[in-house]
Amino acid sequence: MKKMLSNPALWRGVVSIAVFLVLWEIGARSKQWMAPEFFAPFKEFLGAMGFKKDYLPWIGAVPAPSAVLDSWTAVFVDASYWQSWYMSFFRVMSGFIAAMLIGIPFGLSLAMSRVAHGIGFPVFEVLRPIPPLAWVPASIIFWPTQETAIAFITFLGAFYTIVINVLGGARSIDVRYFQAARSMGSSRWDIFRRVILPGTLPSIVVGSAVGMGITWEVVVAAEMISGGGSQIGGTRGGGLGFFIWLSYVGGSYEQIVVGMISIGIAGFVSSELLRWGGRYATPWLKAR
Amino acid sequence: MDAALRLGAADEAIAVLRETTPFGDASEALLARIAGIARRARYAAGARIYSADDAADDIFVVLSGRAEHVFKPEVGAREALRRVTRGGVFGWAGLLLGQTQRLATVTAIEPTEVLRIDTEALVGLLESEPLEGGHVMERFASMIQREFTLPALLAQVRRLSGPLTEEMSSLSLTLYRLSLWLRSPRPYLMLVGFALFLGFWYLAVEVWKLPRFREMPGLTNVVREWLSPSPTYGLSLYIAEYYQHIAMSVWRVAQGFFLATVLGVPVGLLLGWSRSFKEYVFPVFETLRPIPILAWVPLAIVMFIATESAVVYLAFLASFFATALNTMLGVESIDESYVRAANCLGADRWQVFRHVIIPGALPFIFTGLQISIGVSWFSLVAAEMVSGQYGLGYVIWTSYVMVRYPTIVIGMVTLGIVGYVTSALVRIAGDYLMEWRVRELALAER
Amino acid sequence: MTRGHIVIEDVVKVYDPQGAAVMAVDHCTLAIEPGEICMIVGPSGCGKTTLLNAVAGFHEITSGRIIMDGEVLCSPEKPRSTPGPDRIVVFQNGALFPWKTNLDNVIFGPVMQGKLARKEAIDKGRAMLADAGLSGVEHNYPGEVSSGMRRRVEIVRALMNDPKALLLDEPYRALDSLTKSVMHEALLEIYYKNKVTIFFITHDLEEAIFLGHRVAIMTTRPCKPKKILNVDIPHPRDYSALTSKRFRELIEETNDAVHEEAWKAFQAGEKEG
Repeated sequence: MKKMLSNPALWRGVVSIAVFLVLWEIGARSKQWMAPEFFAPFKEFLGAMGFKKDYLPWIGAVPAPSAVLDSWTAVFVDASYWQSWYMSFFRVMSGFIAAMLIGIPFGLSLAMSRVAHGIGFPVFEVLRPIPPLAWVPASIIFWPTQETAIAFITFLGAFYTIVINVLGGARSIDVRYFQAARSMGSSRWDIFRRVILPGTLPSIVVGSAVGMGITWEVVVAAEMISGGGSQIGGTRGGGLGFFIWLSYVGGSYEQIVVGMISIGIAGFVSSELLRWGGRYATPWLKAR
Repeated sequence: MDAALRLGAADEAIAVLRETTPFGDASEALLARIAGIARRARYAAGARIYSADDAADDIFVVLSGRAEHVFKPEVGAREALRRVTRGGVFGWAGLLLGQTQRLATVTAIEPTEVLRIDTEALVGLLESEPLEGGHVMERFASMIQREFTLPALLAQVRRLSGPLTEEMSSLSLTLYRLSLWLRSPRPYLMLVGFALFLGFWYLAVEVWKLPRFREMPGLTNVVREWLSPSPTYGLSLYIAEYYQHIAMSVWRVAQGFFLATVLGVPVGLLLGWSRSFKEYVFPVFETLRPIPILAWVPLAIVMFIATESAVVYLAFLASFFATALNTMLGVESIDESYVRAANCLGADRWQVFRHVIIPGALPFIFTGLQISIGVSWFSLVAAEMVSGQYGLGYVIWTSYVMVRYPTIVIGMVTLGIVGYVTSALVRIAGDYLMEWRVRELALAER
Repeated sequence: MTRGHIVIEDVVKVYDPQGAAVMAVDHCTLAIEPGEICMIVGPSGCGKTTLLNAVAGFHEITSGRIIMDGEVLCSPEKPRSTPGPDRIVVFQNGALFPWKTNLDNVIFGPVMQGKLARKEAIDKGRAMLADAGLSGVEHNYPGEVSSGMRRRVEIVRALMNDPKALLLDEPYRALDSLTKSVMHEALLEIYYKNKVTIFFITHDLEEAIFLGHRVAIMTTRPCKPKKILNVDIPHPRDYSALTSKRFRELIEETNDAVHEEAWKAFQAGEKEG
C-alpha cells in the first residue's frame, strides 16, 4: 500500500484526471463569462467546422462537472434510474449469454470440421460486415416483442467477435498437443475436451471481453433508436440508453452526462468481471 | 523402339510423377516435360543405388520395388532410416542450398525400377515455368522436412533464378492460384453454404410462409426491387439517389477515419514512446474510453450546429480510440533488443524512432486501422439512424418507418459491401507497406 | 594489436537498492586482452548478462569502473556508458530488424552514423556478406532465412562498423546442437579474418572451451569470476579439437566448478535474469 502511494505514476494519473476535471469545469462555465460577441471574429471559421458560433466550441456545449454531480445526486435516489441500470444489464447479459451459447459451439465446429468450415464460413464472412445496428428494423419486424428484438441485436454484436476468436484460438493450438494426445491413445472426444477446449479458452476470454464492450455499444444504440424497448410503466425502465435519450428530449443536458458516465461504469464493471472470471478459468496463463 | 511403346512409357512416367509429393499437383504439360528428361533404370535386390558423399547428380522416383534410404548420422534427421516405395522421391540433395553431395546411402531391397532425373536439367525446366516451378520447389522443401524429417536448417531448397515472383505478372499468378482453388473442394462447399442460406430465406418467407418470417421481405422481392429500373419503393441500382446515399456515408466515414488516423497514430506513438506522456494522458484516455461512442449521440447533436458535423464527430471518436490504443500497444510490443541494437549501431533518438519504432509498430497500427474503420461504420449507422438526412443508416431507418421493407435489406446489403470494400482497402494498404510481414506469414503457413 | 582492451574494475551492480536490494554482480574484476575471445560461463540467471549490459551501456552500474582502450566507459560519476558502434551486442534471440532486408540490416550502422553513403555501404555490405558465405540472401527478409543464417547476418551487421569488441549474449542458445556446431566454426572463421575482441556469454562449458582463449567461470548470483582457465589448445581450431585429449582434460578440470554453481542456481530457483 505504502509502495503504491509512493508510485509517481499513480500521482501523475491523479493529477492528470484532476487537471482534466478543472479544465472541463472552466470550459463548461465559459458561457457565463465569455460574451457571444467575443466569438464574432471567428464566426465564419467556427461555422465552417460545424460548431455553434457563440460559445467555446465543443466544450462550451458540455455541462460542467459540478452540475453533473448535482444532477447525479438527484437521480441517485430515483428508482427509475436504477430500473434503467437493471434493464440495460439484463439486456446485455441475455444477448451476451446467448452469443456465448451459440457462438462457442459454432466456432468450434467451424474449427474442427473442414466441411463445416467450407459451408458455414463464407456465409458468416458475408454477413459479418453488416453492422449489427443495421439489423434494428429487420429485427423489430421479425421478433414479436421489442424486448426480444433488442436482445437479438445485442446477440449479433457479441456473436461475430466470439466466433472469430474461438476459430482463431482453436486453429492456433500447437499441432504437437494433438500428436501428444493421440500418441497417448486419446479418443476424438478426449482430444476435444482436453486439448481443444482448454487451448481455445484464452481466446474465448479475449473474444468475450471484446464482445462485452460491443454489446454495451449496441444496447445503448438499440435503446435510443427503438425508444426504450418494452416501456414497462411509461417512461420508466427503458434502460440507460433510453435514459440518455429522454434527458436529451427533456433538455436536461446534465442528465445526459450522468447517463454517459453510468454506462461507462456499467461497461467497465462488466468487462472487469469477465476478465476476472477469465483469469479464474485459465490459471495456467499466469505462469507466463 | 516402337513409337507406341515409348508413348506408353511416358504415360507411365507421368502417372508415377503424379503420385509423388513434389509433382502431385503440377500441370499435365509440366509433367510431360519432366517425363521427357527422365531416364529409366533397374536395380537388382541388394544393389547399392548410391552412397553418402557421392556427387548429388540425379533425382530418383521409384516406379516399382522397394529401397532403403539411410541418412548419414551427421545430417541429424529425426528418423535416419526410411523405406521408399512407388511414388517415393529421393536423391534430392542437389536441390538443397549449398549441397553437392549425397546425404544418404540408398540400397534396393527388392528388384527396383526407378526414373532418374538430372537435377540441373530439372532446375532448368522449373526455371522456365516460374509459377509452377516455384510451387514444385516449395513442395520439395516441405517433403524434405516432413517426410524425410530433416532439420529445417538443412531443408532449405535452392532459389530458382530467372523471372522471380516480383517480376511475374500478377494476373498469371492470380489465375494459377484460382486454378488451384477450383481444384480444391472449397468453392463447392461455399456454394452449398450460400444455397442453404438463400434457399432457407426464400422458402421460409415466400413458400412455406412460416410464422414471423411471413412479415420479412422475401428474397425475390428484394432482388427484383434492387434490379428494377423503376422500383416500387424508390431505391434500386438504377436510381441516382441510391448512389448519393452511398457517397454520403462513405464521405462521412472517410472524414472521420482520416481525422482519427491523422490524430490517433501520433498520439498512440507518443503514448507508447514517452513514459511520462503516457502517465499524464492515459488515465484520462482510459476514463473516457468505456463510454460507448453511441452514448455521445445526444451530446454531439448539442455540440454541433449541423447534424452533419455531429455524425462525422461520432465516426471520428470511435476510430480515434481504436487507432490510438493499438498504435500504443504496437510501440510497447516492440522487443527492447531492437532499440538496443539500433543504439549499438549508432542510431540517434530520432533515427530509432524512424527506423525501429514506426516500422515495428506498423503491424499493430494496421490492425488498429482495420478495427477503426469497422467501428467507424458501426457508429455511423447508429448516428445516421438517430439523426441524419442522408446516408445508408438513414435509408434503413426511414424504410422501416415508411414500411418499405425490401429497401431495408437493400440498405443492409449495400452497407455490408461498402464496409467490406473499405476495410479491404485498408488491408491492401497495410500489405503494401509491410511486405516483410506478408512474406514471413506466407512462409509460416507453408 | 591494441584495440578492444576491456578492463572491468571492481564492478558492483545492485538491483533495486532501496527495496529488495538484489546483488547481481559482486566486486567483479576482469581484464579482456585485445583481440582475444573471452568466454564467460555461468548458470542461467547468474548475473553474467548484467555484466554484458553494463559494458554495452544498457544498464547502470552501482560502483566500480569499466575502461576500454584507456577510455572510461562508466564509473561512479557516470554510472551508465553510452551504447555505441565500438562495442556491438549480438543478442540472445537475435535482433535483426524483421522489417528490413538482410542487406538493409547490414548497412544500417554505417548509414545511420553517416560514415558511408548508402551506395558505398551497399557495396561493402554485399562484399562482407559474400565473404561470410551469405551471398544470395541480400534481398530476403530475416524471417525468410534459417535461424543459423540470421545469426551470421547479425554478426556481419556488427562487423560492418569495424567495432573494437563484439559482445555476444548467448547467441546460439536457441539453436539445435547441429546448427550450433556449424555456427561455432563460422564464428571462428569470421574471427580469424577480423581479429576483433570477443566477449562471449554462455552457459555451455564445451562451447566456451572450444571457442575461447580464456574461459571465466562465474559464481552464481552475485556474479564474479570463480576460476579463470587458459585454454592452451592452439588457434586456429576446427572441430577435431573437440575430440582431442587436451579438450577433455580441460573439461574435466572445470566441470566440477561449473556444476557446483549450476546446483546453487538451481536450488536458489533463480529464473532467467
